[in-house]
Amino acid sequence: MDVLHWDGTLSAKDFKIGAFAFAQKWESHNSGFPPWSWVLCPKHPWLASPEEEGYLSLEKICISRPNEEDIDQISQIDTGEEETSCPGNEDVIDDATLVQSGHHELHYCDFHIVYSSTFRVPVLYFRAYCSDGSPFPLDEIEKQLPACSANELSKSKWTFITQEEHPYLKRPWYKLHPCGTAEWMKLLFLSDAAKPKFDVVLELYLLSWFSVVGQVFGLRIPFKISN
Amino acid sequence: MAAESPSSVRKVVVHLRATGDAPILKQAKFKIPGTDKFAKVIDFLRRQLHRDALFVYVNSAFSPNPDELVIDLYNNFGFDGKLVVNYACSMAWG
Repeated sequence: MDVLHWDGTLSAKDFKIGAFAFAQKWESHNSGFPPWSWVLCPKHPWLASPEEEGYLSLEKICISRPNEEDIDQISQIDTGEEETSCPGNEDVIDDATLVQSGHHELHYCDFHIVYSSTFRVPVLYFRAYCSDGSPFPLDEIEKQLPACSANELSKSKWTFITQEEHPYLKRPWYKLHPCGTAEWMKLLFLSDAAKPKFDVVLELYLLSWFSVVGQVFGLRIPFKISN
Repeated sequence: MAAESPSSVRKVVVHLRATGDAPILKQAKFKIPGTDKFAKVIDFLRRQLHRDALFVYVNSAFSPNPDELVIDLYNNFGFDGKLVVNYACSMAWG
């Protein structure tokens, strides 16, 4: 595949390869989060060799902003990672060690990375809910986001969010609209003077993609992941 | 003993590079304290270009979180004594 003429998209097969590469790197370098898991969805399970489709899933991520009392507790927790977080940034929290005071309602988010065969790119689907499982609507989610994300969300046209049926689970989820993805993926990879080979592009595709879409939720991936 | 370590006053040379059909800035190179967040660079770009929606990224096909420190970005993505920050304007979305 000639990268110079690449249109920024992936085939379904390449998406799967890229998804596995991403999940692997994430697990090795992003210990602040649980790993992504691949959920298999055979397209025609009645066939002898069903087409294997699937998506990446990361669930029950706490997206609540800590309140003032909790901030003192957080600063005492040593996560033991060499994260380059700036002081005062409580957005990246290992929720396994976070101690929350009882009256602060926690909200969680499930993220699914699903391949769109129409746009030929990954799409981020998400849904948010309270600790009792009741759904948490989008305008409430926005209030939970880190300030610069919430700002981005209101200003930035590219984080266009729509609600639609999850392609596999058939329930309403939100998604970040993918129509511009191919274009900015092309820019990400082709702006360097040294054009990468396609297998490098594939290896890094989901990572680069996530560095962009993850910002909507303040989900940060460490730099060394792309080395 | 020095009150501040040398790295806290170290400035990073940032080179803003237009990509796609983004306008090229007259003044594209400047210095910024390493301890500043990347958000400052993004805000600077927004003001210079009079646009809110910008796509900003560094080499290695990575779009840094605005909370990242410029010095950290320089250490990871800088070369030749500078940090190249690419920008593009909003494309056709939706």
